[in-house]
Amino acid sequence: MNFLESQLEDPVRFTRIKRWFYVGLAVVALAEIVLPRVFGGLHSHFSFESFPAWGSLYGLASCVAIIVVSKALGKLWLMRREDYYDS
Amino acid sequence: MTLEWVHPGILLILGAWLLPFLKGRLKRTAMLVLPAAALVDCLLMMPGTYGVASFLGQELVFGRVDSLSLVFSYVFSLMALLGMVYSLHVEDDCQHVTALTYAGGALGVTFAGDLLSLYVFWELMAISSSLLVLLRREPSAVAAGFRYLLVHVFGGLILLAGIVLYWSETGSLAFGDMGASSGGLAWAMILAAFLLNAAVPPLGAWLPDAYPEATVTGAVFMTAFTTKSAVYALIRGYPGAEILVWVGALMAVYGVVYAVLENDARRLLAYHIISQVGYMVCGVGIGTALATNGATAHAFAHILYKALLFMGAGAVLQMTGVRKLSEMGGLYKTMPVTLGLYMIGAFAISAVPLFSGFVSKSMVISAAGEAHQGLIFLMLTLASAGTFLHTGLKLPYFMFFGVDSGRRAQEPPTNMLVAMGLAAAACVLIGVFPGLLYAYLPFPVDYVPYTMQHVTSTLGMLGFTALGFFLLLKHLDPEPAMSLDTDWFYRRGSVGFVRLVQKPLARLEYDFVSEIYEFVIQRPVLAVANLLRKFDSTVIDTGIMGVGHSAQSLGQVLKTVASGHTQHYGLIMAVGILALVALISLVS
Repeated sequence: MNFLESQLEDPVRFTRIKRWFYVGLAVVALAEIVLPRVFGGLHSHFSFESFPAWGSLYGLASCVAIIVVSKALGKLWLMRREDYYDS
Repeated sequence: MTLEWVHPGILLILGAWLLPFLKGRLKRTAMLVLPAAALVDCLLMMPGTYGVASFLGQELVFGRVDSLSLVFSYVFSLMALLGMVYSLHVEDDCQHVTALTYAGGALGVTFAGDLLSLYVFWELMAISSSLLVLLRREPSAVAAGFRYLLVHVFGGLILLAGIVLYWSETGSLAFGDMGASSGGLAWAMILAAFLLNAAVPPLGAWLPDAYPEATVTGAVFMTAFTTKSAVYALIRGYPGAEILVWVGALMAVYGVVYAVLENDARRLLAYHIISQVGYMVCGVGIGTALATNGATAHAFAHILYKALLFMGAGAVLQMTGVRKLSEMGGLYKTMPVTLGLYMIGAFAISAVPLFSGFVSKSMVISAAGEAHQGLIFLMLTLASAGTFLHTGLKLPYFMFFGVDSGRRAQEPPTNMLVAMGLAAAACVLIGVFPGLLYAYLPFPVDYVPYTMQHVTSTLGMLGFTALGFFLLLKHLDPEPAMSLDTDWFYRRGSVGFVRLVQKPLARLEYDFVSEIYEFVIQRPVLAVANLLRKFDSTVIDTGIMGVGHSAQSLGQVLKTVASGHTQHYGLIMAVGILALVALISLVS
């Protein structure tokens, strides 16, 4: 697994991986807008699904919402010391 | 039980007792042959009713074999086989016997056609699975194991009470769609017991409490059987129950929220069991053919990928001895095979195209769409993003990459890798050829997972979830903390209850209740008793003694008559006869 290690530990190569990641995201979002409309058409149950790049947008929004809301719930209410039940 | 039908569960439960008497290679062979035989037994089974016994005037059916019980029996026995491969290296007969008994119990529940035999196997599962926690033999595991057992005994009692009520109401023990008695007490109690085993909040805190405390191999078995046999029971008994739609969708989100806060690797995965079972419960609630197929297919796929994920986390735990994400990191350098196999499970649970979750989870989400349940659809999709966020990104990032902890743990034993490889192969096989699974679902499948829209929007959702993850990475560092869940009520609440009893309640009793008691009860009773005693000594005693005294003085008088001389007696008799004659002559 020297290959993976060399890719991740080398800053230059790591920056290149990051750049490809962003390119990949752009391609995915574009594909989501274009491909279903070209091949097969849209078969949505709800109108919001027809919004361009709906999956991508909802994915990002969900991810951010989950992290922010959960962290807030944890900090304000749920989180305790690890030995909470031992004391 | 007829000879042409062998119960695969009984086969495992009885066969397990061979293992302690075998040694070495022979024992390892038996460990594989038993679950393999059960799997072949299930595969050869034809639909029908077998193993009917009469008990208390009721029919007990041990072998209700139809398309629904068959598909669950396939995956349960396959899982038993994979789990035994994973635990081949373990030198602890107790664990093997209980694991096989546990799997046998799940098969028993699956084939039970009546509520009483269902209950027996249900309890068997509870006891054997709690042993899988206790057998880690560490103080925290023993404590968690007892909590687990108590919760499940409680659930079992609710189930039994519900069954007895149902029996007295309907006169039947047959286990089928309970819709006819919908809303009744028996209906609700049996449902509550099923929901407890399906780990539905607020009844589900036992799952993330106990699973991370189980043995490395025991946890792999536990991920499969308890919750999914409950899902089976729900499909059988409560299809289309409206409440399950909302409960399931809430569950799916609930597990995701807790997973953000979690630092223990296996506990994070445990919260994602709750989340994934939420999809199945929701599917049962929607109740259409597509939704029921989806719940079944997702249970099937889930058992395999969740076992794979727990195998991966268990392998890391076994090789490093560390369970907290904040103490791992950098393991990809020395455990690349474990990483690769884990990632297949992570892709499967995240519903990445070509992996099993993609073809099963989407059935439930589509069913929510077809039923025009917009909010449910959005909740399930959100939970889907959360699943990828944690199981596919957070956990592998902090476990295998992240800040190098300096640990250089080696790959786990070969048998563990083989088990993971088999589970991974199953995840990919189902993902690439969904028809293999669809053919065994309870209803004919008219669903195509690989449409251009579904694939591209899923990829978009996953890709941008990853973007969100990397953007917020610095806020996601696992913290050494724990999160309150509903187990608080019996872990802390019970301590508070004991304190309440010991201090204020005991004081209240001593200072107040006993004072009142003395004043209101004790003193009047004593006073009345005193009065009665006086009455007794004066009136009653005097009366009785008077009677005695008069008898005595009469005796003194009569004594002179009884002289013992015959002539006196003759004289008295003569006087008497004369008096009698005089009396008669006077009267006549």
